[in-house]
Amino acid sequence: MAFNFNWSPLIADTSRARDMLTAALNKSPKPPIIVDDILVNELNLGTTPPELEILEIGDLAEDRFRGIFKMSYAGDAFLTLKTKVQANPLNTYLSTKPSFASPQPLAASAGLTIPLQITLSDIRLSGFVILVFSKQKGITLVFRNDPLESLKVSSTFDSIPFVRDYLQKEIEGQLRVLFMEDLPAIIHRLSLRLWSDEYQEETEERLDATEDTVKPIDPLASPPQDAVDAFGNPLDPSEISALSLDSSEIHASFSQKNILRLAALSESQRTLSLFTPSIREAVFRAWASHDRPDSGANTPGLTQSSLSRIQSTFGSMKSNTSSIVSGSSGNETLATRPSLVSANSAPAGLGLGSNRSRAGPMRKRKKRVINLRRDGGESSGVSTEASTPLPSTNVSETASVIPEEREREEELTTPPKSPEKAGLRPGNSEPSRHLDNETAALSNNLLPAMPNTLLPAAPILSHPPKPSKSKSQQPPNIPPPITEEPSNEPHPTSSSHRRPPLRSTHHPTSPLLRSLSFDKISTLSSSSGTKNPLSPSAESSASSSNGGILEQAWMLKMAMEIARKVGEEKERASALPTPPMPRRRSEKRSGGGMWVQQQEEEGVGEAPPAYRA
Amino acid sequence: MLDFMDNVQNAFYEVSHWNVDNSYGALNATARALLDFHTPKGLRLQISSLAAPNFATSYTLGSVGVVDGSVSYLYSSLPLKQEFRSSHLELHRVIGGYRTLQELRRPDEHWWWEVWHNGARIDRRVDTLLYGRIFLPQSTLEALYLRRLSPTRQLKITAVSDSTLNNGGTILALLQNDVGKYSTEYMYSTDSALMGVRGLYNFGTDPRVEPAAPAGAQELVEPVHGRFSAGAELYYGLLNKSGGISTGLRFTTLPNHTGFPYTMTLTLNPLMGNLSSTYAVKAGSNLALCSRFDFNFYSYESELQLGCELWRRRHNTDVDWAAKKVRADWKRPTVAPDDDVSGILKARVDQNWRIGVLWEGRIKEMLFTLGASLDLRKREQIFRGVGIELQYSS
Repeated sequence: MAFNFNWSPLIADTSRARDMLTAALNKSPKPPIIVDDILVNELNLGTTPPELEILEIGDLAEDRFRGIFKMSYAGDAFLTLKTKVQANPLNTYLSTKPSFASPQPLAASAGLTIPLQITLSDIRLSGFVILVFSKQKGITLVFRNDPLESLKVSSTFDSIPFVRDYLQKEIEGQLRVLFMEDLPAIIHRLSLRLWSDEYQEETEERLDATEDTVKPIDPLASPPQDAVDAFGNPLDPSEISALSLDSSEIHASFSQKNILRLAALSESQRTLSLFTPSIREAVFRAWASHDRPDSGANTPGLTQSSLSRIQSTFGSMKSNTSSIVSGSSGNETLATRPSLVSANSAPAGLGLGSNRSRAGPMRKRKKRVINLRRDGGESSGVSTEASTPLPSTNVSETASVIPEEREREEELTTPPKSPEKAGLRPGNSEPSRHLDNETAALSNNLLPAMPNTLLPAAPILSHPPKPSKSKSQQPPNIPPPITEEPSNEPHPTSSSHRRPPLRSTHHPTSPLLRSLSFDKISTLSSSSGTKNPLSPSAESSASSSNGGILEQAWMLKMAMEIARKVGEEKERASALPTPPMPRRRSEKRSGGGMWVQQQEEEGVGEAPPAYRA
Repeated sequence: MLDFMDNVQNAFYEVSHWNVDNSYGALNATARALLDFHTPKGLRLQISSLAAPNFATSYTLGSVGVVDGSVSYLYSSLPLKQEFRSSHLELHRVIGGYRTLQELRRPDEHWWWEVWHNGARIDRRVDTLLYGRIFLPQSTLEALYLRRLSPTRQLKITAVSDSTLNNGGTILALLQNDVGKYSTEYMYSTDSALMGVRGLYNFGTDPRVEPAAPAGAQELVEPVHGRFSAGAELYYGLLNKSGGISTGLRFTTLPNHTGFPYTMTLTLNPLMGNLSSTYAVKAGSNLALCSRFDFNFYSYESELQLGCELWRRRHNTDVDWAAKKVRADWKRPTVAPDDDVSGILKARVDQNWRIGVLWEGRIKEMLFTLGASLDLRKREQIFRGVGIELQYSS
């Protein structure tokens, strides 16, 4: 998840912040060496925004927000202060001592005040930020730890090393106080003062941004999972190579874990209602946190300490799957795992950078979401749900329709995942990737991204055996023998090819999964029948106007999850009939909505090859 | 107004023949008294008593925000016979104003201090003063140990114990030598291991040398009207590797000066480039004026302060005509000295229009100090602090 906030307006108006900073600096008792008010002469926030990474969202609604972020800043902001310092060490020394036991020098302690200009630059911050937003109480921002990592202090006395060191030390101390105590107060006051319509919009935008970013995050979050999955199995690092060679064994062990994970997922999904924005966020969060940990669970014996850590966190998660959303566990995973952090921070940074361009689309999307909700409430949701697969596929096939912006977005969001997944076992990674890709594609029409994600993965998979490799590159529905040829095809074209197989597993043979998702599937299948008549062109137009992307995406995710579970069940049974690939494909191309029908035709129990051992 | 305990300590110095003014630290005492006086804040009550000639107690109660107070005890090996009752106190003793320096007196002979019994020296008189004060809510303890080691030497150890200080407190040891012609001081402070040396040299005749017998009646000994003194101080902190230095000059008139008394000082801090000159004049029996000019030739900062001290005396119009008729040196019988003093006004102002005003005096048997500090530059808050202090001693 990522925040989307405007950095440039912050840069533009620093006068108020300067005043407040001046007040804050002069409020706290100053060290005796500073004999005059500290004036903030210049404040430039720089062009590089800080990177914010959401670790936890404890509460999210229209009018309130509570979350924990990991913030890191390495920008070009600088701050120039003016003050006067006492140059006589005896003076400063005596001013802090009781006069009773003071030597009381006659004139040796006479003061010499020197105007001093200090420039603070190269500020490096990194810390955990707790942000609480409420419409009534404004914004409360607290640093959980000391965020100041390093800082360069240049002053009038740089030529004198003693003074320079002293100033560096003193100022760092003061800044720490500022960050921990004064800055929260300043921000709180600013938020209260800025309580205008404009400000409200901003906050709403921000909320939207969080909702929006959910989708990009998922694909990002999954790659690490994939990566971990690929190595899967509770094995030692030394065993990894052997495992990678022996694909069947891996799959067997892997499927068990997957089932555990899927059970946890379905549990969490059942408990949360999907139609309030906050909870929907929570669902996404659960996805993200869940995927990651269980990826870790699959790779307990990984060489990297980070991965092992992930696994440990997952252990706790498994125990209480429903509470996965709880921030603490999610926090830990994020904090301890460097790879994930980087992956997550990347979208945030991108989001920030492309903020302006994205502002338009985001708003549209938000509106759409609202509309959808209403629709869902009114109707049984048949029309919306059924339409979801169609529009996406249509759009994907007609790639030219996709606006430039969106393409860029997806490109920004998707790349991080592909490299992550690259080093890992392809077969296992498939389902999750599908999920993410599909959700992304559906919600944002990110179809062109698909090839990008897949292609980079291929070169990295140098060692894995042939079948697994082919699986990874191919859409899951293609059987291994046939794969060689068609496998390359689907990537460049679109993700639609891959989607059908997943859907086909919607009617799972496994009773457990069916019980969980049966109602949904039935609605999907029934709706598919109604949808079929629609022509692709009509569908695409409908999709463009239709705002229910989020919901659709979610539904698809659900469906795919079920499909995955089914597939794993199958794997367990280790009896895998090869799915009728060619036919399905042809159907696919004919129309996006066809796949639902296919499911019915093909019959349930088929799992995509990716899930097979 | 001088604290009761300070007053008692001054009395001890007086009794033990220690010249407080003959020290480099007291070079500009006059200017400090007229310009750097302390303005009280809030309400402060002090009840003190010299219960015995050797023992004094004092209790202070203050209310600046919170109620705080202090309890202090003092022991002196020398019996103090001065008048300390607030109803009979000479106001000059407790109101630090223009200090008229006296002629240097010869230090006591060593044998004065010896105690002889039956033709054998059994002891040497070594006078000691012990003083302790505890501030109650803060739990700060002040302690003073003062010992006259010899007629020309004195050891003063002051200590403060406070949990807020580094190492929980600080001790300052001060060894003073005063032979009249010159005086030296050596000090050591435990806080950052600060060491200091101070010295003051008085030009002119040496009081230790017996004035030569009048060689002839026609050779009149020219009276000394003034004294020129020069001094310097040097400090060095061993731990923080920082030091300080200053030198100073003073010229002051002596009591037999025929004109109005005045004092001029010039101090220089060569390290920090600070030059400070003061000029104080006692323009009349009831008026003293003082000015100070500070200049820093490194930063070109300058500061000017002006101050005055005005004794306001009551005039009884009923007997004014009679007072004019009597001879000038006729002493009016009064219940208490300075009975006709209705109050003493002290005021100071600097170039930034920071003003300090003090009104001191005696009401009935209480000594009072009413003070305020103002800042005319800050319109929104002109009064920086207002306070009143009441003292009663018996």
